[in-house]
This record gives sequence, C-alpha cells and structure tokens, in this order.
Amino acid sequence: MLMNQKVGAASRDLDQGRVRDATRNVAVVSGGSRGLGAELVSGFLDRRYAVATLSRTKTVFIERLLRRPRAKNFCWSAVDARDDEALRRFVAEIVERFGRIDILVNNLGIAVEGVLPTMRAPDIVEAVQVNLTSALVLSQACSRAMLRQGGGCIVNISSVNAVRGHAGVAVYSAAKAGLDGLTRSLARELGPRNIRVNSVAPGYFESEMVKGMTDEQKQRIVRRTPLGRLARAEDVANAVYFLASPQASFITGQVLIVDGGVTC
Amino acid sequence: MLKPGTPEQIEAVVHDRIRRVLQQRSGQVHVLSGTDKLNATLGLSSLDLAFLVAELEADLGVDPFSKLVSITSIRSVDDLVRAYRGAILGGDKLQAQESDLAAAVQRANNRRARRARK
Repeated sequence: MLMNQKVGAASRDLDQGRVRDATRNVAVVSGGSRGLGAELVSGFLDRRYAVATLSRTKTVFIERLLRRPRAKNFCWSAVDARDDEALRRFVAEIVERFGRIDILVNNLGIAVEGVLPTMRAPDIVEAVQVNLTSALVLSQACSRAMLRQGGGCIVNISSVNAVRGHAGVAVYSAAKAGLDGLTRSLARELGPRNIRVNSVAPGYFESEMVKGMTDEQKQRIVRRTPLGRLARAEDVANAVYFLASPQASFITGQVLIVDGGVTC
Repeated sequence: MLKPGTPEQIEAVVHDRIRRVLQQRSGQVHVLSGTDKLNATLGLSSLDLAFLVAELEADLGVDPFSKLVSITSIRSVDDLVRAYRGAILGGDKLQAQESDLAAAVQRANNRRARRARK
C-alpha cells in the first residue's frame, strides 16, 4: 500500500489527485530509502516530480518526507524486492494514484561479496533476485504504463563491476552486467515507442555499500582514481538526472560510467 | 475498468482495442474476422501487441500473459479473445463450457462404439 494516505482517503482523493497531478511528471525510484536512492528521491522532488519509491523498511529519511506538508506528491511502499507480485502491485498503485509513470530508476541493490566457489546457493539466488530480477519486473510493469502514454525513460543503476572484473564480486558483477544487457536490448525493443533506456555505472562512492571497507581499501581506490576522490551520491545522481532529461532525448541503450576515470 | 461478464462482451472489448490500434497505424477503420492473423494479416508487430496487451490490461484488469498463456501461442484474433476469456471467466464458466464439450464428445464416442458393436 502506498503509505502517505490511508486506503479510504486514497480512493476518495484519487480522481482529484489525478487532475491535480495531470501535468506533473512521475518518477519511480526503487530502493529510495537511503544512499543514492534517497539522493534521487530528493532530487526528483526538488525538480517538481511526483515521486514513488519502495524499500524493505521505512527509514528516518522516508518518515521525514511523509510528514512534510506537501506529502501528496510522494509515496513510499514497504516491498520486499524478492516478491515479484508485490513489485507489480506497487507499480499498479502508482499508476492508479498518479495516472502515469515518466521515469523509472532501477536503483535497488545489495552488495554481495565472496568468492563464488564458497558462496551459499541461497545468497547467490537472492543477489540475482534483488540486483537483477527486481529490475526486470519493475521495467516490465512500468514500460506498460509508458507504452500507453507514448513515452518514458528507464535508468538502470549498474556498476563498474559490470565493466571490469574484480575478484570477490562475481555474483554482483554478473547481476549488474545483466542490467546493462537489459539496457541495450530494452532500448531497441522500446525505442520505437519513444521509451529510452540507459545505465549509469558508478564506481565506488560514499554509501552503505562501502561502509564495510577499511580506510586503507578506500585510499587504494582513491589512488587509482584520476579525479583523486571517491564519488559522492550526487555525482551519480547528476548523471541520472541528465539521462532522464530532455537534454538526453537522443541517447538510449548506453552505459554512462561515473567513476572519476578509474576505468578510462 | 470494464467488467465484461460474458464471452461476447470480452470479444467486443478485444476487437474494439485491436481496431483502435489498427486505426492509429493506418487511419482506416478495419472490419475484423476472428481468423485474421495478428501479424500476417493485420500487420501487428510484437511491440503493437505489447501495447495492445497493456491497453487491455487497463480495460479488463487482467493480463493472461503474465502466467497463464504464452504470448507466442497467440496467432489470430480468436486466439487473443480466447486468452482473455480464459483469464476472466477462468475456472468457472469456461471450465463448465469445456466440460460440456468434453461430455458431448464422450457421448458421441459412446454412440460410435455402440454402432460399431452392432
């Protein structure tokens, strides 16, 4: 259920809400409760989008947004990314509430580390479900709304690990490379209906995912980075805003690497 | 969202949507036959079909292709209508119709067997 209205109120206000939001673009950001996802949610709200996001748990960031006076242009839903049906319901509720979906950012992801021969099978399955399958399900559901409205934009948050091999992240790399494959093929499939699909592939940036790294590991990454620092979430978000904007209206099927030059 | 309750109403909704898609493409109003092939006769691409399925999901509230039926098995207008009838009328009316048909086939087979024994 979308969480900033009670069910009764939501259905009562639906038609009015749709009229109110008819000219407002709608962005869906998966995994928007923290890190890059939260940055994107804030950024799209600042750009006057209506924003819908999902995450497994409600964070302080989400609670703060839901308490704002102008909370009706934002909704959050508690969804387990491994639950395909819940993901589809989430999209159906957004379409019902806002009437359209202009942008989908597949940002959901979990870090998975460990050499493949010794990884637990359920961990491999979960990593692929969360990092890749959830994006397939959300893209399918959102692209239907985009087909009906005659256009839209999907941005997949990939990783430099999909572009370069790194020991200890084989499953994560495979899932993220899968996202880039999705980007290219879906761009071809949906391009004729004015739906663009691109990837943003961040290098290591200050986030929950690098929290477990030692300072020495972080320094090693910085030394390998021509621009001499770790990325910030806003560096990555700016690439997403660009790809989602009219300035990128002739760009589709591409992977934009945002890593300070590590892979150049 | 419409709530068609009979096979005829479902057929009417599906035909109407197909005609609208064809009209958008060619600007002409088409007369449909159930045996028309979606691709070979009507010229619908897989993307047109995806658009059609998205529109029908909004009209009818079901998507037979999410689990029940493979879209690759759909060739004709009638195939598409059957898929939606199956998804909407599903276990009750459709199965009843099918079991009526199966019972009729069984009766016919029994008659043939009796005639053969004579």
